[in-house]
Amino acid sequence: MANETKNRKGMMVTPELCIGCRACQVACKSWNQLPGTKTTNNGTYQNPPDLNSTAFNLIRYNEVPGQENPVRWLFVSRRCMHCEEAGCMTICPTGAIYRTADGAVAVNRDKCIGCKLCTNACPFDVPRYDAENKMTKCHQCSDRTAAGMLPACVKTCPTGALKYGDRDEMIKTAKSDGFKTIYGEQDLSGLGTVYAFKDEPKLYGMKENPTIPGSVVFWHTYLKPLSFIGLGGVVAAAAIHYLAIGPHKEKEEV
Amino acid sequence: MAEIVRKSSVDEILNHWILAGSCILLMITGFAFLFHMEAVASVFGGFNTMKEVHNWGGVVFTLSMLYSMRHYLKDAFEYDADDAQWFKVAGGYLSHKVKVPPMGKYNPGQKLYYLAVVGAGIAIALSGFAIWFMKDNGTIMLLAHLVHNVAFCIFVLAVPVHIYLGTLANPGTFKLMVSGTLPLEEAKRRYPKWMKAAGKM
Repeated sequence: MANETKNRKGMMVTPELCIGCRACQVACKSWNQLPGTKTTNNGTYQNPPDLNSTAFNLIRYNEVPGQENPVRWLFVSRRCMHCEEAGCMTICPTGAIYRTADGAVAVNRDKCIGCKLCTNACPFDVPRYDAENKMTKCHQCSDRTAAGMLPACVKTCPTGALKYGDRDEMIKTAKSDGFKTIYGEQDLSGLGTVYAFKDEPKLYGMKENPTIPGSVVFWHTYLKPLSFIGLGGVVAAAAIHYLAIGPHKEKEEV
Repeated sequence: MAEIVRKSSVDEILNHWILAGSCILLMITGFAFLFHMEAVASVFGGFNTMKEVHNWGGVVFTLSMLYSMRHYLKDAFEYDADDAQWFKVAGGYLSHKVKVPPMGKYNPGQKLYYLAVVGAGIAIALSGFAIWFMKDNGTIMLLAHLVHNVAFCIFVLAVPVHIYLGTLANPGTFKLMVSGTLPLEEAKRRYPKWMKAAGKM
């Protein structure tokens, strides 16, 4: 499935450029018409504490003890990774989760049946369910990008910490700009949200070697074809038996 | 007038068709979910309604499957030397020349089929209810999803065989699951050990 989407668009996140203003969070809510959520102060600027059904993106405020400074503050945008091999899309029983022409992973609300299987197949714990029991998440503003506009968060980002464009080109640029680690370049055949890091991804609180759960891969690779081929095979075998050997004959048995 | 014996009671026949109907409905909707068949979903008015049909169809199937145990479970666990011989000649299905040993009310193929239905049925029911009601437990959801699909494969392979053997392959058998009765002479010929046990032979 590797990089099947041609001219795949993507999001480049550069924490070193992020000033933690959270305008991206506000822009996302504004464009997607999402209400705010009431939270309580738990000693960090990170708010809300994690993604929820009305927060498709957020800035993680990672506090990392450093050598020069007592603490290094790393602002990392958290959102759907738009995986090339998307576990949510694989397990979705209705095809409600689909890939857009630009390579983003989006949800068709009408087809979502609220089964929550996607929640468990996602390596990044992204899908959330809203009050109507429909899955919600970042869709890379596919409604904007389809019309040639930038995603709301990228449009509003004042520093260029969030970029949107041709995925391969952005990775090339980030590498030539001296970013040692590109997170998501190869993971799950390439993430649609890639990160330019100066240090190890672990430092930025990223999941190392994200994978789709083994049971989902096994089911998709073997069980799905088995059910289909198995049915056809059994029906064919019955037909062959009927023609070649024929039905049970009562008389001969006596 | 020939004497008639009853092989299946009315409640057994009724329950069989409830079980069969719900099973086929669940398999069709299950396939539609597995392969995102929009055309099938449209018949039910969309995927959301089809989910309700699948869930509540599962409830009917589960109850019917549990009720069927009073008809078949005891027999399904009893095997004798003739049953072993039956397997050796593959029930006479691969050749009409072999001698098939005398059978009781059910042949061992039917008995094993029933155990498969009960085994896979319990697995698919439990995992189905887990997917329905235990959405907040990720481990259980993934395990249930796998079990549900493994059991589905067992049904997909076993049910068509049962339908074929109960209709085309054994003329007269289908009628038996409708009326529940057959002439004594026929019963003696087809189920000699059952008739002997019933004192009719």
